[in-house]
Amino acid sequence: MDTPPVISTVNLVKIYQDGGVPVPAVRGVDLRVEPGEFIAIMGPSGSGKSTLVHMLGGLDTRTSGEIWLDGERADTLGESAWALLRRRKVGFVFQFFNLVANMTVADNVELPALLAGASPREARERREQLLGALGLADRAGAAPAQLAGGEQQRVALARALANRPRLLLADEPTGNLDSRNTRDVLKLLGQVHRDGQTIVLVTHDARVAGLADRVVSLLDGQIVDDGALPASRRRPRGGVGDVVELRG
Amino acid sequence: MHTVRASARWIRADLRARRGQALLTVLSVAGIVAALVAAATLLEDGTNPWRGLFERTRGAHVWIHTGEAPDLAALRDLPGVARVAGPYRAAPVTLTLGGRKSPVALREASADPPETAAPLVRQGRWLRAGDAAGAVVERSFAEALDLRVGDPFPVTALSGSSHPLVVVGLAETADQGFYPEWTPGLAWILPETLTRIEPAPGRREVVTGLRLADGEDTLPAVHGAVTLLDEQIRRMSTWREVRASMELDNRLLGLLLALFGVAGLVAAALAVANVTGGRVLAQTRDIATLKSLGYTRGQVVALLVTEHGVLGLAGIALGLAGGQLAAALTLDGLPFPPLSPLPLLAIAAGSAAVVLVAAALPAWRGGRTPPIPAAPAAPLRGRLSRLAKLALLVRLPPALVLGTRDAFTRRTPAFLSIVGLAVPMMMITIGLGCWATLDDFLRHPERVGQAAALTVHPGRLTADEAARIARADPEVRAVHPGSEVAALEPEQTRSVLVRALGTSGAPYPLVVAEGRMFAARGEAVAGQGLLDLLGVRIGDRVRMTVGGTPLIVRIVGRVVEPDQDGEVLSTGLDTLAAKDAVPPQFHRLVLTDGADPEAVRARLLAASGQALEVRRTVNPAERLAVIRVVIVALTAVLALLGLANLLTAGALGLRDHASDLAVLKAMGLTPRQVAATLVTGTGLLVVLGVAAGTAAGASVVGGLIDLQGHTSGVGAGIGRTPPASVLAVAALAAIGAGLLVTLIPARRAARAQVPVTAR
Repeated sequence: MDTPPVISTVNLVKIYQDGGVPVPAVRGVDLRVEPGEFIAIMGPSGSGKSTLVHMLGGLDTRTSGEIWLDGERADTLGESAWALLRRRKVGFVFQFFNLVANMTVADNVELPALLAGASPREARERREQLLGALGLADRAGAAPAQLAGGEQQRVALARALANRPRLLLADEPTGNLDSRNTRDVLKLLGQVHRDGQTIVLVTHDARVAGLADRVVSLLDGQIVDDGALPASRRRPRGGVGDVVELRG
Repeated sequence: MHTVRASARWIRADLRARRGQALLTVLSVAGIVAALVAAATLLEDGTNPWRGLFERTRGAHVWIHTGEAPDLAALRDLPGVARVAGPYRAAPVTLTLGGRKSPVALREASADPPETAAPLVRQGRWLRAGDAAGAVVERSFAEALDLRVGDPFPVTALSGSSHPLVVVGLAETADQGFYPEWTPGLAWILPETLTRIEPAPGRREVVTGLRLADGEDTLPAVHGAVTLLDEQIRRMSTWREVRASMELDNRLLGLLLALFGVAGLVAAALAVANVTGGRVLAQTRDIATLKSLGYTRGQVVALLVTEHGVLGLAGIALGLAGGQLAAALTLDGLPFPPLSPLPLLAIAAGSAAVVLVAAALPAWRGGRTPPIPAAPAAPLRGRLSRLAKLALLVRLPPALVLGTRDAFTRRTPAFLSIVGLAVPMMMITIGLGCWATLDDFLRHPERVGQAAALTVHPGRLTADEAARIARADPEVRAVHPGSEVAALEPEQTRSVLVRALGTSGAPYPLVVAEGRMFAARGEAVAGQGLLDLLGVRIGDRVRMTVGGTPLIVRIVGRVVEPDQDGEVLSTGLDTLAAKDAVPPQFHRLVLTDGADPEAVRARLLAASGQALEVRRTVNPAERLAVIRVVIVALTAVLALLGLANLLTAGALGLRDHASDLAVLKAMGLTPRQVAATLVTGTGLLVVLGVAAGTAAGASVVGGLIDLQGHTSGVGAGIGRTPPASVLAVAALAAIGAGLLVTLIPARRAARAQVPVTAR
């Protein structure tokens, strides 16, 4: 039996209304993400890549078109149904980490598990495992503000993975990090991808995109290029990566 | 249900991060609920000590004072009468303690307490056979005179003979109201002692109590008694009067507390709404993050309502306990049953509903937060407000202009902050008005009908001699002869006080609030309480009976009447029958301005060789002194509410403009100017709120106090607006405190290094 794609969109359109003037952000995107795939969405500022990934996670509503998540139609869902779907199937990582400032690192990571109905013990075990894997076990009791940017983003990644989501959506996860922290976070993303995690990542950094299996380029809300990277993606320099970098 | 654990984590973390603000919310809600509970306790019938006393003493509903012993069998056969107490003989005597003379009614009592209307011994013991010199004194009377068990109780009978009695016990009774509202004071002695003190039956009276099967059937029993005894009746009282006299002060206080409590609840609701709303705006990003993690709109609303509602509910719980404690302290020592569960439940449920609704409205807005955490909180209006444009026109410093603009970038929170400050300020102004009214009572007693500071009873002298001595004193401006008689009102169910003061030609300076002063025989003026009691209006004729003689007067005006719940008819001595008016019972002395009543009293006593009995007039404000404590306490609670609103407004302003600060500094504003900008933004709201609250309070306070006066029988015409200087000081103090509270975080923010980042 064919496994359905994790994500599939059909002629997805998003038009914002700005003072009565329609501003198209996404114009007819057809995208298909297979299980275990790591896709990077690239494009210049205002190309609609963030809007696209927000729509894929149900944070933003679509104007027209279809979104299929794990073989189920999702674009017709209401806000609450989307929220329930996100709990189980979608993890988000944002550019500004978005850790809840008043809660400790441990609480931040346990929150989604508790929300999905895990017992406090299960949530704690999963958190210990995740933080241990991300090298943050000793920072569990710290407040987010006490962490460096890279550490915060790793905590955010742990939080996104707490419920073992089918799909990890990352919106410029390295956009606010220096090169060393960027490298750390990317290494982690590579690891979880190797463990079979489906990832859709938005970036305008070609080196980041070079980590992906496939790079989708957006321009003015339309896909202008969609190509798989060669298997030698361990070495980001070379091949399509260079082309992409020149174009970016 | 899955969200419960996650939500609990969030709430715990958030409360830990803002302990001070949470505590402020709890305390201010608690203060308001405490005021409401105290008010209900004071207003509720159950707090009136009468009910408890009446039940425990198995009291009589009706007391009849007659000249001779009535026909007991006939009284017992009256409709509704279950038992008869007495008849007891009673003798009027005068108690002289430390030069102070107080009228006392000595009532005979057997060593075995009676079945009906048995006094309740609180201290010491009851009379024993052979206690020839022992007296049990009614407790409120004993407290007023500072009498304790074992103290001497020297009384002088009408014949002039002195009898050294000793206090053996203090007892409570529901037979009559509390001293000094209800005079004369009461003491019980053995029958043989009474016979010894007052052997002449003509100078004694006989007191008989009727206990009814149902207190609601008082009227037929009273009518029956009046028909039966007719002219024998000297005066009579019913349980309603006793109850009313016991509740007077508490009721006034309760109404004031209720007014403050209800208005305070509105202010508390605004504070909760402002705090919740401010928190929602400040946490927009965190709420969006929660939604991206899978919180639905309803769950976000539930989370916010729970967090802020729990604070309010904690405050309510604290307030319920505190209020009962406060009421217990106010009613110190009085045997009152606790507030019955129904009003307590109503207050708890009502305030809980108010708090939850106040939290739910901003929470609902919080639930609509878009789930994209990266999006800016809400686009702020870029244009200058009209006020800011005006500020620019008049070339104000840039910090002021920018602050003025900031004040109104969010219209609804700005408006709520202003109202949230205006309501407490209005209540504080009303409190000041009550204070000013009390001051006015004390400073100008003549405006509440107490022109005379001293009352002279002739004592051992004749009335003419007493008047002559009084007139001879240099500091006595006027001497008004007067008499007081009890009159049975037309329904003949109860007695009212008829006070004849001066004559129609030279009346006593009463304060006429409506109509005019009496100016001819047969004219009278009445207090509001009497008008309400009889259901008459100015211009009506009323017919009463004074000791069997009919008294027909036309009421030509209403006076401000602080005594006896306003149930007083005032007229000229010439209107009373000669038997009641000549000689006058007492003289009221109006002193010259600035005269010390105590000094005049001492001189009069010296001039008469201690023969005169000179009493100072009790000012109603002295009885209401506890109201000042209440005003101070409530002002503190209201200030807390204002502070809660202010901190929210300040935090919101700071958050909205945090990113502007770096820009402002880059533009060349000094840290001081930046701080000034922030202070102006919040301070403008403070100024507007305080000004609006003060103006609203000042405009309603006079009317409110008059309304209160009307309901308490004193009558309209006593309300005073606080003086402009006091209002100005209060407003400036509030504004100053507000600015100070804003200044501290503003200075810190202005000095901090603000990174330029997206929100």
